[in-house]
This record gives sequence, structure tokens and C-alpha cells, in this order.
Amino acid sequence: MSSNKEDGGWKKFVWNSEKGEFCGRTGGSWFKILGFYLIFYSFLAGLFVGTIQCLLLTLSDYKPTWQDRVAPPGLSHTPRSDKSELAFNLNDLETYLPYTKAMRDFLSMYDEDKQRDQMKYEDCGDEPTEYKYRGDLNSDVGVRKACRFQRSLLGPCSGIEDREFGFKEGKPCLIVKLNRIVNFVPRPPSSNDSIPEAAQYKVRPNVIPIFCTNRREEDAGKIGEVKYYGIGEGFPLQYYPYYSKVLHPQYLQPLVAIQFVNVTMNTELRIECKVFGENIGYSEKDKFQGRFELKLQVTNL
Amino acid sequence: MIKNVVLQTTHFFYEKKITKSIFYLQDSYNMFEMDGEGKWNAAYIPFIVPFTIGQFLQDDHEITIEELEMRYTTSVTKGLTSRMASEVLERDGPNELLPPKGTPEYIKFARQLAGGLQCLMWVAAVICFIAFGIEFSRGTLGCFDDLYLAITLITVVVVTGCFGYYQEFKSTNIIASFKNLVPQVKIWKYRKCMVISVCILGQLEANLGLYLGGCWESEPQSKTPECTHENPLETKNIAFFSTTCLEGVATGTVINTGDRTIIGRIASLASGVGNEKTPIAIEIEHFVDIIAGLAIFFGFTFFVVAMFIGYAFLEAMIFFMAIVVAYVPEGLLATVTVCLSLTAKRLARKNCVVKNLEAVETLGSTSVICSDKTGTLTQNRMTVAHLWFDNVIHAADTTEDQSGQSFDQSSETWRSLARVAALCNRAIFKPNQESLPIPSRIVVGDASETALLKFTELTIGNTMEYRERFKKVVEVPFNSTNKFQVIHELEDPLDLRYLLVMKGAPERILERCSTILIKGQELPLDEQWREAFQTAYMDLGGLGERVLGFCHIYMNEKEFPRGYKFESEEMNFPTSGLCFAGLISMIDPPRATVPDAVMKCRTAGIRVVMVTGDHPITARAIAANVGIISEGSETIEDIAARKRIPVEQVNKRDARACVINGGQLKDMSSEELDEALRSHPEMVFARTSPQQKLIIVESCQRLGSIVAVTGDGVNDSPALKKADIGIAMGIAGSDAAKNAADMILLDDNFASIVTGVEQGRLIFDNLKKSIAYTLTKNIPELTPYLIYITVSVPLPLGCITILFIELATDIFPSVSLAYEKAESDIMHLKPRNPRKDRLVNEALAVYSYFQIGAIQSFAGFTDYFTAMAQEGWYPLLCVGLRSQWENVHLQDLQDSYGQEWTYAQRLYQEYTCYTVFFVSIEICQISDVLIRKTRRLSVFQQGFFRNKVLVSAIVFQLLLGNLLCYCPGMPNIFNFMPIRVQWWFVPVPYGILIFVYDEIRKLGVRRYPGSWWDQELYY
Repeated sequence: MSSNKEDGGWKKFVWNSEKGEFCGRTGGSWFKILGFYLIFYSFLAGLFVGTIQCLLLTLSDYKPTWQDRVAPPGLSHTPRSDKSELAFNLNDLETYLPYTKAMRDFLSMYDEDKQRDQMKYEDCGDEPTEYKYRGDLNSDVGVRKACRFQRSLLGPCSGIEDREFGFKEGKPCLIVKLNRIVNFVPRPPSSNDSIPEAAQYKVRPNVIPIFCTNRREEDAGKIGEVKYYGIGEGFPLQYYPYYSKVLHPQYLQPLVAIQFVNVTMNTELRIECKVFGENIGYSEKDKFQGRFELKLQVTNL
Repeated sequence: MIKNVVLQTTHFFYEKKITKSIFYLQDSYNMFEMDGEGKWNAAYIPFIVPFTIGQFLQDDHEITIEELEMRYTTSVTKGLTSRMASEVLERDGPNELLPPKGTPEYIKFARQLAGGLQCLMWVAAVICFIAFGIEFSRGTLGCFDDLYLAITLITVVVVTGCFGYYQEFKSTNIIASFKNLVPQVKIWKYRKCMVISVCILGQLEANLGLYLGGCWESEPQSKTPECTHENPLETKNIAFFSTTCLEGVATGTVINTGDRTIIGRIASLASGVGNEKTPIAIEIEHFVDIIAGLAIFFGFTFFVVAMFIGYAFLEAMIFFMAIVVAYVPEGLLATVTVCLSLTAKRLARKNCVVKNLEAVETLGSTSVICSDKTGTLTQNRMTVAHLWFDNVIHAADTTEDQSGQSFDQSSETWRSLARVAALCNRAIFKPNQESLPIPSRIVVGDASETALLKFTELTIGNTMEYRERFKKVVEVPFNSTNKFQVIHELEDPLDLRYLLVMKGAPERILERCSTILIKGQELPLDEQWREAFQTAYMDLGGLGERVLGFCHIYMNEKEFPRGYKFESEEMNFPTSGLCFAGLISMIDPPRATVPDAVMKCRTAGIRVVMVTGDHPITARAIAANVGIISEGSETIEDIAARKRIPVEQVNKRDARACVINGGQLKDMSSEELDEALRSHPEMVFARTSPQQKLIIVESCQRLGSIVAVTGDGVNDSPALKKADIGIAMGIAGSDAAKNAADMILLDDNFASIVTGVEQGRLIFDNLKKSIAYTLTKNIPELTPYLIYITVSVPLPLGCITILFIELATDIFPSVSLAYEKAESDIMHLKPRNPRKDRLVNEALAVYSYFQIGAIQSFAGFTDYFTAMAQEGWYPLLCVGLRSQWENVHLQDLQDSYGQEWTYAQRLYQEYTCYTVFFVSIEICQISDVLIRKTRRLSVFQQGFFRNKVLVSAIVFQLLLGNLLCYCPGMPNIFNFMPIRVQWWFVPVPYGILIFVYDEIRKLGVRRYPGSWWDQELYY
């Protein structure tokens, strides 16, 4: 960058012994300029850190300032796999081991012995009930209790009796949860208009229904019976709202287990699961918002 | 009987050795009208088609005619045989100049696509394609982003390429359209000549009364058959292609045709390669190299860092690409081009047409102007300047608009002198010009007579009618041999005497006089009066003026009664014992605006060197008049005369001024010339040939100056080409000169050059500002990637967003800086030193990158972290989040509040960050464009709203930013999200900081010039 380069070549630029210059500056000059930048950047860094601190001060510990990107909630499921594909051979343990392992890992959070502490957990009933408000977010109540959610509610998919979650029999289970959002209360559908007829039987009070069906026309009837386990075969409202990580550290989301008990073997099936509710939305761009798609292939050869 | 053959507007299409006759030639595009149908009679031109194989004028002008005939197997009287002629035609081709070989259009376009920065963009695009290919084959989601980016990059390169090409096309088009304005050589004439050259024989005698003139100068020069100079360009017996015969008839032998003529050579020389790079081109190249080098350096470093940290090769390549895209200022070249063309447009309105955009700036760095005299410094119009009668020198009004003072016209002598001047004059006004002011009317006649006619028209009025009253009986025309002219007139009815009036060279006229008219009285012409005459003559001559003497006599009515047969050839009337009326001197006066302009140059540290073909005394007088030789400056000769010592004893260093004539120049070595230019600040070169102009230019360049040269003649074109900036005259200039020049002065006025210099300096200053503005944002564009790679935060700023900043929102503000007024009086500064004062110097880059750029980066990150934190992602959580954040299969990533985000939700959050970062850069850039308005002055001194374009650019930038943010559909097309209004204000404090910090910087620079602060922070 300096004109010195042209005059004396690179070497001279890097170290000019005549003038005692290193890269075009003397030691004193370097000292001064580096000192200047040290002060300059210290100031800037200080300003930056100060601004960020101020920013953090304005933030609530319990609730994010804005929630416009995270709501409406996503619907996530375990096991998940690359390209949302669930393909296995029921005769080959290796092919479904990753899935069952993921499910066991996931469900270990819901182990009964972890939910014993009466100070932290409380029973909210096995039937769906109203929202369970635990005071205002910013009130002084402090840490809130969480509703227990027993694995046994998931029946055959709980992994208590069947460690393989039905994979071995070709009746695979899926654990589905509604992504949690602070202070979000999902509202059940108020009418049946927006719900497909086949799913209407699932609508019950105080439950966010979930319904899985074939995605493609040609898969109709091939999926067989789909069984739902969990409180009210959906997401019961007493588990909402969620009071954020700080106030609700023990929070357990309600789960729904879905079991495909009579799936057509050796065929790739496209399944779409969807939750329904007033404030549940779907998006073209986000395939996991309020629904998800799954490719299921069970091989028995 | 003497015949007069007047030939105007006819082109010689051949260079020929004149074997017989004398003859006037004139530059083809001179002030003489081109009335299309020249009176050139084919019968007068016995051309003989030449032989020329690798011969360039050689010694053709020195050998005898017989030898010449031998050499070209031709005959001076008979010409070539038809068979021979067709052979020659076949061998040499038709006699026309081939247009210079232009670069093919597709190559020009390709060049626009293959610049240093463009190549980097291509590389980036290719990397994108490769990444797309690999990811697509893997079936990765979101791989279309890469394809999208690749296409965008290519579009950017192609669009900017088209833009550059269009600019270049337009600037070459300026000259193309200009070409149509000047009369072109008509080929049909040449064809006619071609045929004639074979068939018609030379039969003409040379002893016809002829006006003869030279070919290269604007003053006609006579041509003779004698070889007068060993240099073919100086000798008088060669007539060159593209010169015009003004008057006269000649026979000659054609020795060269078409491209082998001097013009052909000059044209090919001038249009050929070796086009020297303009200073601004060097600057930009220098700077693009650095940018490209740094981009690759940064890219490569972070490629290595990324590989080291453990990213996959493909990811590291994408990082490399992204860094290149972020660091390269894509919009910069377009900005520079637009700024230059804006100035070019502004200059065009001020009568400077710039052919080569870059020349705009060159003019600003000019340190020496070698100017022609005639037409550039002067009005190119002989005008009566002084009169001497009644033993007093009277000054006439020489201003262009006749606004000056007139002299006392009450004397009886004046009436007589005016009568002689009015009658003894063959010049006439062209009809139908009554509406025009007298000085600009077109006159048929030579320069002196034109001057006299206009003078009498102005003083006594209605000269034509006046001449009617004095009927002409006989006239002996003015000619170059006896320098006098006599006209007989008949006085009004009652007075039967004849009046003889005569004008001519003063000493010749005086010889013929025995009395002198003083205050209306005829007094005997004794020694005292002769001495008075001599003094006056010397005085006027010393002013560099052309002096004519006037005398008259009333003839005895008995000796010459009415009806007396006067014979002009036998001279049967008195030509001596006349009565001397007075002297009238004429000069081509300087243009009114020139002295001011020269003064401006002087204060701007620009030397004005006069290079003219005129006589040294005239040259010196004009130089002194316009201030090229300033008041009180002495030449060596002046000092010698004052001290009464020989010239050799004068210390050369004492003389500020120096007049060197062509003869002296020829004998000087280049070292001596350099020395002369070094030691005398005020130089005038007189009696120089155009070839010597080139020598002078080269000498100036050896001394490290940036030289501007004005020229009009064809043979000026090498000097114009050699000069850093060649300036051709729009009116008097020949095509070749215009082709070789970088700039054309439409009004031929020196003052326009000074305007150009001012604009050139301004644009250099403003380009500096524009570039500083453009460079600054590269740092806030680059740092997101660096932080992304090293700290693994979610990406704060995407490539496409960067391209939007570079090519959409920031273009208009950076161009608007070209409209900024000068900070100080730029015409009071020395011209920049091209070796030291770089366009982009270290201080500018360091200040932009490491200070303002750094502040902008912090602003961006503050806003980024704000947007993240307010949506639930605390700054510390962001660190190291990248791999999870970008995991397409992870649909429940927890934020700081325990909320779970799907991938698409995170992606939209990322786009929000892009937009927020974009907005931060925009806000800071508004502050940046405000601080860039000045480099030294406070913005308050410069005025916030004085630059209306800049204000509207800021408004435009904001509107465009809002459009990008809030237009529906943007999230999925260009990755812009509608962001919260609050986030627009997060970077505002940083914007204010930039402004305040820069004001402090400027204050320090102004208060403590030369201090450490000034050295380090002034760019």
C-alpha cells in the first residue's frame, strides 16, 4: 500500500535499516499508531459491551421481547432422521436401532423417578382439563411447578414393556411434541370447519387434536390403523402455558405417541401428521409448523 | 496581363514535390469557408502517381527534377502512362487514409468482463456452482441458494460490464458525432484527380501572379520549387496531403499517397498503440490490484482457518467465495465511471468535449500547459491596434466586443489616413451580414486588409458606400515582391483631380514620400520627421505588431486630366514624392478572458508555456499581454540591455522569462532544454515547427510534469498523443488533431482549459470521497463472515444482501459525492504530485477500513445481537451455535427461554438478522456520506443541504431500504424480512458517533496542521 514498495522492493519495505523502519514506520511511530488503535478499539469495544449490557438489562428474564418468528409452534417428532425418512427392516435390529435409541434417550426425561420431587412437580390429572395458569410471568411467585407426564400414558409406545417401541413387530411408534413457546396457549379448534372429516372424531374439549393420514392419494388405505396414545390422544391444555426456562425449569411437554399398527409392508408411504387449533398455523415454507411429513417404509423380507 | 487564380477549399490528396511555381497552402480545416465546390480546376494539376516502397519523403525534395523523374519513372510534363498508373494504383491501393484499426466490439466487451475484480467475481460464481452441484447431488435442502447466488454474481458482472461498455461506447460516440460536424475530405474529388493524374499533362506556367502559403501553419505560407530545408517537413517545395491551396497554381510530382503520406503516418502513429495510461487509470488499477490482492489474501487466510477449525472443504470454499463477495467493492468501478462522465458532461456544457473519460481527471493534475498562440490565446483575428499620425501613437480598441476606449478622431490627418485606409483596400464584406456585429462579419480578403476594413467600418462607417464615392480607376495589387499597392481614385464631381493612395511596408512607403501630413498640413519630410517616424515604427514593431504605412497624393489635374489612361504595368503616374499620412499597426489581440485564465493557472501552480510559430517579438508581446511573461520579468536579453553587458555575461538564473526560437531550439541538446525549462519559469517558444512541440512536451515530461498540450494542425497530433492530455481546437483543429487529442475545446478558448483544470481537480477530490465512502462498508460486510467462521454465530449478513448494499442502495449516494462543491479554493493549490498524492492513499484506506468501517461493524453487530436477543437468543448462546442452527433436521432447537424453533423459523430469524445488519450499514452509511462531504472542513462549514443531489440520494437510500424491508414477498426472493421499527434506531448512536468522531478528526486536522494527528488521519 505504501509507495516505499516501488522504491526499494519488498525487503526494504519490511525492514529499512537506514531509517530503522519496519513496514514503513519507525518503532516510535508504530508505538504511537498501535497505541492509538488500542485506545480506539478499547473505546469501541467498551461501547459495544456497554450497549449489549444495556440491551440485556432491557430484556425480561422470563419472556422474550418478541415472539413473531417462533410462533405459531412447530411440531417435532422423535425419532427424526435425515430426509424425514423412517425406513427399517423389522428382521434387522441394526436398521431400527438408531430410532429406538433416540426414542429411549428422549423418553428418559420422562422417567418416573425423575418426577418424584413434590416441590417441583404436581399431578395435573390424566384427563384433559383447562389451562393451568401459575400466575403472571413477572410476578414474584418464582419457580413454578410442572405437571407430571408419566411415560406409561404412552401405552405400548412408552418403552417400558416394549423396549423396541413396536419396531420389531412392524408396528413402529413415533413420539410427537408440540414445540414449546413461552406464554403460548394453544387454542383448540372452535369449529369443525377447518378440520378434515376423517379427523373430526378426534376433536374433544381441552385437547389439541393430532391426526395422521396419507399424504398422497395413492397411499389411501395402505397406512392402516393409526393409534394415538397420550392424554386425550392429543395435547391436553393443562400443560400450558409454559413459563420459560427460568421459571419452569422442570417443565415437561405433553407427548403423543403415534403407532402404525397395520402398515402396508415393503411400500414407501407418505404420512402427514397435523395438529389443529385456533392459533396453530401452517406455512408453505416451513414443513414443520403445526404439521410434519414422514416417509415410512417397513420391510419384512 | 497578370492572372489571379484563387483556389479555396481544395484538398491535395497527394503529397507532391513542387516542381514549378509558388503557391499558398493552408490547413484544410481552417477558418476559410468550405463552400463545397472548390474552384480547383483539374487542368491545373498534372499529378503523377508515385512510386513508394518504404520510402518516406527521403531526399525527394533535394534531388533535381530529372533525378526525381528517374526515381518514379515518370515525366514531370507528361505524367505516368495509363498502364503504369494502373499498376501503381494496384500496388499502392487507392489514395485514401485507412481508418485506424479499432478494437473489435466483442473484445471491448470481453475486456469489461475480465477486469481484476470481475475475475474474482467469476471465481466466486464458479465456486457457487460447484457447491450447488455437490450439494444438489447429495440432495441437501437449501442448495438452491448457491445456484441463486451464482446467477446473481454473474448477473452483477454482466450488468456492470454492460454498463462500462455502454459508457465507453458513449464516450467514443461523442467523437463520432463530433466528426460529423467538421467537413470531411470528399472522396469523389480524389477520384477525379486520380483520373486526371493519368491523363492531363502539366502545361501551366508558374509565372502567374500567385499567393503562396505554407501548409502546416494556420498562417498561409508560400511554396516555391526550391529546396529550402533539408528537413522535408520544413522545406518549401513539398505540398502535403490535407493542406488546402489558398491561392495559386502549381505543378508537382506525386511522391506519396494514402497512408504513406505524412498525415497517414501521423494518423497511424497517433491512433496506434502506445497510448499512455492516464494518471487516473494508473490510480484505479493500482487500487484494484490492492483490493483484489487483499480479497484473495483474506479469503485464503480464512479458507485455511476454516479448514483448520474443522470445516469441510466445500464449506471452506464457500467461505472463501463469501469473503470475496463481501470484500470486493462491486459498485466501485461503476461509481467512478459515473462520476467521471458526470464531470465530462459538465465540461461539455463549458465547451470542453472530453473524448476519454479519464482525461477529465488528468486535466486536474496538469502542471504544465503548452499552449498555441493563434486562436487559443488570441482571437485569431487581425485587428488594428495602434495608429501613428500627427506624431502621436493612438491606441485603437482591440476588445472582442468593442467595449474599449476609442482615440481622438478630430484631427484632419486622421481623416486623410482613414480615407487612404478605406480606399486602398480590396477586402469586401460578404453580403447579407448587416445584422451581425462588425467584428464577426465574414470578409473576403487577406488578414491585414480585413482588419483595416473592419477598422474603417467601425470608425468612419459604411466603407462600401464610401468607396463608391471614390471611383476606382486603376489598381496595382499588393504583392509580396514590391510590398506596395496603389489605387487611383476619382474625387467628387467638382474636383477633377485624381487621388493616388498607397499602403505598404512603412519603410518602402516612406521612401516614396517627400512630405508628411501633420494636423492636416503638408510639411516637408525632413530628418526630424524621419526620426519621429523611425521611433514610432520601432515602438510599434516592438509591440509585436504588423505595421503598415499609408500615403497619398492629389495628382495635378493638368498633367493627369480626366480620362487619362493609367497603365498599371507601365506605371505611367507618379510613385514618389507622395505625402505620408501615417502608420497603422495590427495585431491578433489576446482573447479578453485569457489574462485572467493565465493568472488562475499561475495561482494554481500551473505553468503556461507558449509554443508558437510566430515571430519571437510578436510572441513575446502577446505573452506579456496575457501574463505568460509577468510584469517585471526580464529575459536574458532584457537584462543584458539594461546592464549594458553582453548576453553571455548575464547570469541565466536571474532571468525569469525566456524566449527561445525554433532555430535556437534546434541547436539545443535535450539536457539544455531541460535546464532552460527548469531555470526559467516563464517560457515562450517562438518560430517553432510542430515537430519541436513534441520535443518540448517530452522535455516537460522528463521534468516530471503532467503536460497538457493544445494543438490544431495535423502534425500536432503526435505531440497531442504524447502529452498526458492533448487538447484539440474544435474550430481550427484538423481531424487528425481531434482524433489524437483527449479533449476538444469547442470554442478554441484557453480559458476553457482552466475551467477544465478546475473540474478535473474537483473530481479528483470528489472521487477520493466517493471511494472512501464505498470502501468503508466493505468492513462491516466482511466482519460478519469472519465472526461467523471463527465464533460460529448464526450468519449475520448474507451474500445477496451484501450485493444489494453494493449495487443498489449505496450507488446513488456515492455518485452524489461527485456533485460536492470544492472545500477550499482548489485553484490556489499546487497540482497534485502523481507519485505522492495518490487517489487511494494509505491514510484513506486505513481510516475507512479500520476506523469508520470498524464503528460500522460494531453498529451492525449491536443491532444483530439486539434482534437475536429480543427474539430469544442471548448473545452468549449464539456463540458456537452455528452447527445446530444450520442443522436442517433439527426442528426443536431451544433458545435462551427454552422455546423450541424449527429450522425454517430459525432461517427467517437469520434473514431478520441480515436485514437488521443491512439497515445498520445503511444508517451508518448515511452518516458516512455526510462526513465524506468534506475531508478537512467541518460539515457545518460546507453546509448540510447545499448538495441537493446528496440529500435526495439519502432519501432515495432510505426509501429503497424500506422497500426492500417491507415489500411483500421479499423474504423469499431476496432474504429481506420486515423488521421491527425499533431496530432501525439501534445503529443511530453509532451513526452519530461516526459523525462526531469525524468532526473531531477534522477539527484536529484544521487546528494542528502537520501534527501527528494530521499526518495519520488526513486522507
